[in-house]
Amino acid sequence: MSWKNIKLIFIKELLGTIRDRRTIIAMIIIPLIFYPLLFAGIGYFSKLGSIKSEEAASKVIIDGVEFAPQLVNYLREYEKIEILIIEDDSHAKLQNGDIQAILVIPPDFKYKIEQGEPNKLILKYDATEAKSRIAKQRIDQVIEKYKSEILFQKLSRLDLKEEFLTPLILQEENIATAKKMTGAFLATLLPYLIIILIFTGAMHTAVDITAGEKERGTIATLLVSQISRLEIVLGKCFAVMLISFTSMVLGLFGLTLAFLSGTSIAGGIEGLQFGISINSIFLFFLVLFPLVGLASAVLVMVGIYARNIREASSYIIPIYMLTIFLGIISISQGMELTGKMFLIPVLNSSFVFKELLMGKIYWNHIITTFSANIIIAGIALFGATRLFNKEEVLFRS
Amino acid sequence: MIQVEGLTKIFHDKKRGKIVAVNNLQFNCQKGQVFGLLGPNGAGKTTTLRILATMILPTKGEIMVNGLNIVKHAAKVRRQIGFLSSETGLYDRFTPRETIRFFGRINGMEDKIIEKRMAEIFQNLDMEDFQDVRVNKLSTGMKQKLSIARSIIHDPSVLILDEPTVGLDIITARTVIEYVKSFRDQGKCIIYSTHIMQEAEKLCDMIAIIHQGNLIAQGTLKELKKNSPFDDLEEIFFELINQGEN
Repeated sequence: MSWKNIKLIFIKELLGTIRDRRTIIAMIIIPLIFYPLLFAGIGYFSKLGSIKSEEAASKVIIDGVEFAPQLVNYLREYEKIEILIIEDDSHAKLQNGDIQAILVIPPDFKYKIEQGEPNKLILKYDATEAKSRIAKQRIDQVIEKYKSEILFQKLSRLDLKEEFLTPLILQEENIATAKKMTGAFLATLLPYLIIILIFTGAMHTAVDITAGEKERGTIATLLVSQISRLEIVLGKCFAVMLISFTSMVLGLFGLTLAFLSGTSIAGGIEGLQFGISINSIFLFFLVLFPLVGLASAVLVMVGIYARNIREASSYIIPIYMLTIFLGIISISQGMELTGKMFLIPVLNSSFVFKELLMGKIYWNHIITTFSANIIIAGIALFGATRLFNKEEVLFRS
Repeated sequence: MIQVEGLTKIFHDKKRGKIVAVNNLQFNCQKGQVFGLLGPNGAGKTTTLRILATMILPTKGEIMVNGLNIVKHAAKVRRQIGFLSSETGLYDRFTPRETIRFFGRINGMEDKIIEKRMAEIFQNLDMEDFQDVRVNKLSTGMKQKLSIARSIIHDPSVLILDEPTVGLDIITARTVIEYVKSFRDQGKCIIYSTHIMQEAEKLCDMIAIIHQGNLIAQGTLKELKKNSPFDDLEEIFFELINQGEN
């Protein structure tokens, strides 16, 4: 085995991939330009929409104005509530969005308040309409205020203090530091994103330089050269690894940009503090590289087996779905892996990533994950080389 | 030179069972000679040439290239052969210069020698004008010239050409034939498979006719004509094939 030959194949594949317009679109334009623009756009328009809904006064019809003059007065005083006269088609108007809510006051409202009996008001609104939901919130606020007033009146009549209503107070104190909170926040999504980005980054190149070479008939020219089949497979696999890693980094960078551009318009997030130690970062990469190797080796093996790009793509879909499935398991809150489960590729990495982001270092998990992924990547590489030596696989038509 | 003794290749297919693609072939090709393998599609030409090019292994038989057994010394044999077929493709995103440099390097050549030889080949094949244009922008003729350049960059003494004119227009096909002739004049040993009779007539010093994996006749054009009532290679070919089927 000669590293010089592996390097020749590696550089050839890298150059070919970089010159492919589709790679540039997938690796640079989509994550670095499209994602941030998309998120910024979504943030901008949702903010614009909510500002519009917040600014407009809520049109409310009250059925039974005469039964609760005090409450109606409070509602009238609220700047952004406009009270309209009841009409026969009030319901239709609510459905059409001409008005935002209908408040029904029962005729015995005053009597029940005086008697100290529970009173039932009916608020009709449309939960699917933002403006109607805002109207409901506004009415809620007024009613809450009115309710407190009635309560205080009753308390004072009984000669009781306000504190009478709150005999117990539970004061919460979050001991997690900002760093830990940030770690926990990252740990929910980051491992999943890393796994998906690694696989999507590797897929196109892995298929293009294996099944694609078969399809274009260039594979035969490599087979009659001085380069051994193991060197070809390794060169190709290393190229896929680099492309996959780079597209993951660019993808994460793009998503961060997208997240910041989206949230800066929607108000921003406060209190983020990154506090991952150098050791954890080192261990993170120690777990990451076998995972990148594993993804690349498996995809290269599948690509070599397939007759053409189309066939390779159809073989890759179930692998990709399985990866998404394992990634989703890692997102699930409260799920914990036991010792042997760290032998499951992909899933093991995502859990170790989670632990590291939370500042926990469990050596047994790291070693098991590292070894399991390295061994499976090795088996896939061995399998890929074996397939490359099988004439019925290389020359299937 | 190439010596083929009892070459047999059997494939196993799940649906069709055992398939004898090539059966007990026997032939020699000398230096400075174009040896034509003539046969219809599916006769076993491509399989034979893939075996000679060390891409696949023979089931039986002994094949020597310049005295080296192609199974035992595959790597050494590869250094001495140039392979070109109608199916061999080129890297679209590379220029001719990059393509040739890459193939020179993977054939173990030093950069200095590659550059020198590349300049000679590009001049001989009249490729200088498009040496820095990416392959996907080249015409079919230009691509075929590049394929030829690729197969001879390491100066092989044996050329294995599998239907190199298939799909080419008449002018490019003629150019290819002219180059094959010039390689013969340089003393190279050339195995040339085709199903085009005129090409075989014009080019081949020796002709072997294969049908359904069997070699049914072999000799110079003169010898083939002598043993047949016909004077035209196409007629001779059909007569032999009919005899083979009966």
